[in-house]
Amino acid sequence: MLKTSRGRRRMADVLTYAVLLTMTFFCLAPIVWMFLTSLKTEADIVTSQMQYLPARITFENYRAIWTQSNFPVLITNSLVVTTITVVICVLTGTLAAYAFSRLSFKGREKLMLGYLLVRMFPAVMVIIPLFVMMRTVGLVDSRFGLALAYTSFLLPLFVWMLKGFFDAAPKELESAARIDGSTRLGAMVRIILPLARNGLVASSVFIAIAAWNEFIFALMLTTGQGSRTWPVGLQLMVGEFQLPWGVLAAGGILSILPVVILFAIVQRAMVQGLTAGAVKG
Amino acid sequence: MKSVLHRGPLAKLGDLSETRYWVYLLLFPSLILLLLVVAYPTLYGFVISVREMRLTRPGLNGWVGTKHYVAMLSDRVFWISLKNTAIWVTAAIALEVAMGFVAAVALNRNVPGTKLFGVLILLPYFLPNVVAGHMWALLLDPRLGVINDILVKVRILSSYKAWFADPATAMAATIVVEAWHGFPFFALLFLAGLKGIPEDLYKAAAVDGAGPIRQFRLITVPMLRTVITAAVILRVISLVNSPDLLLVLTGGGPGNATQVLSLYAFQTAYREFNFGYAGALAVVMFVILMVFATLYIRLTRVSKD
Amino acid sequence: MQVTKREFLVATAALALASGMRSAQAATAINYWHHFASQSEMAGLMKIIELFGKSHPGIGVTQESIPNSEYMAKVSSAVVAGGRPDTGMVVAERFADLTAMGALVDISERVKGWKGKANFPENRWTGMSQDGAIYAVPAYAFVDWMYYRKDYFEEAGLAGPPKTFDEFLIACRKLTNPAKGRYAFGMRGGAGAFKYVIDVMEAFGSPIVKDGQAAIDKAAAVEAITFYSNLFVKEKVVPPSAPNDSYRQIMEGFRTGQTAMVWHHTGSLIEISAALKAGEQFSTAPMPAGPKAHIARVAYAGNGIMKDDHVDAAWDWISFWGEKDAAIALLEATGYFPASTAALDDERIKSNPIYQAASQTLDFGRLPNRFVGAAGWSESVVNPSFQSVLTGQLTPEQAVDRMIEGLEAALR
Repeated sequence: MLKTSRGRRRMADVLTYAVLLTMTFFCLAPIVWMFLTSLKTEADIVTSQMQYLPARITFENYRAIWTQSNFPVLITNSLVVTTITVVICVLTGTLAAYAFSRLSFKGREKLMLGYLLVRMFPAVMVIIPLFVMMRTVGLVDSRFGLALAYTSFLLPLFVWMLKGFFDAAPKELESAARIDGSTRLGAMVRIILPLARNGLVASSVFIAIAAWNEFIFALMLTTGQGSRTWPVGLQLMVGEFQLPWGVLAAGGILSILPVVILFAIVQRAMVQGLTAGAVKG
Repeated sequence: MKSVLHRGPLAKLGDLSETRYWVYLLLFPSLILLLLVVAYPTLYGFVISVREMRLTRPGLNGWVGTKHYVAMLSDRVFWISLKNTAIWVTAAIALEVAMGFVAAVALNRNVPGTKLFGVLILLPYFLPNVVAGHMWALLLDPRLGVINDILVKVRILSSYKAWFADPATAMAATIVVEAWHGFPFFALLFLAGLKGIPEDLYKAAAVDGAGPIRQFRLITVPMLRTVITAAVILRVISLVNSPDLLLVLTGGGPGNATQVLSLYAFQTAYREFNFGYAGALAVVMFVILMVFATLYIRLTRVSKD
Repeated sequence: MQVTKREFLVATAALALASGMRSAQAATAINYWHHFASQSEMAGLMKIIELFGKSHPGIGVTQESIPNSEYMAKVSSAVVAGGRPDTGMVVAERFADLTAMGALVDISERVKGWKGKANFPENRWTGMSQDGAIYAVPAYAFVDWMYYRKDYFEEAGLAGPPKTFDEFLIACRKLTNPAKGRYAFGMRGGAGAFKYVIDVMEAFGSPIVKDGQAAIDKAAAVEAITFYSNLFVKEKVVPPSAPNDSYRQIMEGFRTGQTAMVWHHTGSLIEISAALKAGEQFSTAPMPAGPKAHIARVAYAGNGIMKDDHVDAAWDWISFWGEKDAAIALLEATGYFPASTAALDDERIKSNPIYQAASQTLDFGRLPNRFVGAAGWSESVVNPSFQSVLTGQLTPEQAVDRMIEGLEAALR
């Protein structure tokens, strides 16, 4: 009995590694190629003889993107916009997600659908009226205005995702706390939030990434250097009569770096959240 | 513990949380925010769809009622785009859910090295659409594409293939690119959902003699249901609404082989400056999404009961 | 909400501060929207701003670059929602749409009194005028021509570049060798394909629009589409990737030696010269002539005023682009052809053999078709219809029917 179960376990481990390695290859290979491309000279990229490894490693592409695109300013803008967006979403969205998950009230389903509806109207048509509004209140070309625009479609995403995680947290613990005399607020803060902490982090990561990568709104709502974000600056690299592959690839690598770093930090928090939840469970 | 919480304003808030106003208090901030930002633009979108608004022909502007909707019925490109949108979204979502699920289950087994695998598998999602599009355009390029080179070297292809130039492969190629870019979304969400399932449930099931497959069917899937529902709906919405990837890869071509509604609306508005018709297209997309979401939510709830 | 409000105040304060700082630097501050992006284009622009700053110390120019593909989206939303720039770049293909949506300010009076006007012959102004009123000052031009591989032509025993479509077809057959991965002609079938589809239709004698009415001659157009698409479908002298090949792909095909000829304009000379040796490996020639007409486009690009707030400063800026110094600065950085005859007489153009084909083309070249909705029709109807012929889903007749139908709808 024990033997077969151990054998099965080993089988499962092998299978797990096979799956993980295949998927990692699928995900990583294009990015590795992009990295190699970013180190190549244009002559090694646009060539009839496929050049797998750069014949001569060059950092010219990175230098070009740094000087041409005003990189530090763009990255700062992106960081500020992303941070404001996440903060607004977490502050307001967590409350709403909790209400949708744990409280029953009249029109709950309809209201939830209503939150979703907000996201459904195609950006193409929202942009112009949004621009008019932002102009009247003086928020065009401002990072805060852009963050507000992002909130309009990321907040519903956040609420819906987080509600799913709240739903998954067992109700019994909360009931037990309530029987012990805890208020709803107390139960929410002390029981549910810690349990759903990994979900909270995951949802925040998603909206952070979405805000970081957003293009259309950023393009239409900002013009000056003071508020322009990184993806818009990157699109500017794609010139009319030149598409410098190496520079574009360097831009791609630079644009995932901050996200990877953020994620590496957050992942630790996620693991801690999981263990905390497991202990209580 | 309790005494710590019962102090000052917190205590008042705690008391308030016992009243029936509590739910409104929780919903108020997000609701106000959404209404402020979204109400006017959405109304504007609806109004525009029953008006003529062609920037380059200001003389024609004015109320036209259902004209645009009637015109849509006989618009060949609209029907092609509708069909393509359905195919594109369904195929991409199916692929992404399947891959996301497999990845999440594998990651959830916590074999050594999982943390590293976790970050690596999520990398594609971190790339902006624009970059992902250009990058795959280079990978699949009919002249410079490394994928073509490899396929020729292992003799699957006899010569470089122009994936985006052939209507038979253009759609499939864009779906693969989208799946690559989007499946980590599901992987991360499913993983977080799996972590939320208490170990005890599996232990109890194992004691009851349920094998891994039965455990999966009876515990994993039902426990993940709300996460899956939410993830699928959200992804469907963003896929239907965002044209950027196709804009970079094919621009809707060849012919109209990869034309989808979002791209069509975008081109109608910003290439032909026909905002009225683009608005009507947007409203139709909105209605389709709404019907889908309502049905889908109802369906998943029914099967749960 | 308190946080929101404070953030709001901070944001507005910062904005006010930023705009205050800008106006403190110069007496008048104007901004300028353009879609220059590459290093060479930006270098040219910066040089012009620097020259302008020296001759007009009272005016400060803030340049704001917009991705080219999104330029019209950005301008049209500024027209609808406000937030126009003082000045902006205007290329020929976009002129009709821009004036129709009222994005440009009428500058006829100022042009009349401008001393530089004499340097611009009448045809420079036609491309920038609508109903007798002038809306932009021409600055540079894109002249269509053909790039060809001189070495490939010699190898195939061809005496020189083809002068007519018949010669073009013969050359195509001789230059193609699929076994070597070599094709004669880099056909543009993806984004932007319409440009040459329309050129070939006109070369076969079919007009597009006359007096604001659709005027495609079906028989001639079908003949044209048949000839042009057969290069791909029957003759196979075009790379198999043609239906998705746009500017980037045809240029890469040419640079890597896959193709022997491409049609484009003077704007890509610098890029090609960086990869191939001018005069030895490649050279330039005027576009070949069709059976009914010799078609090549000369597209002037210029700058216009988009709002009235600082008209005087804005005028100084856009007319400066028409001065010889600015035109030469741009030419030196980018190779873009000057629109002003004063600059065209410069030695750097006259003595360079590569530019001869462009100088010849200036004599017979036509302005691009200009009618409201041209861009939309070209990209949304001509492109997909032609692509469908290439992929075998439509016959040339069906494609032409769709083009006519689409054109009538666009003009209605």
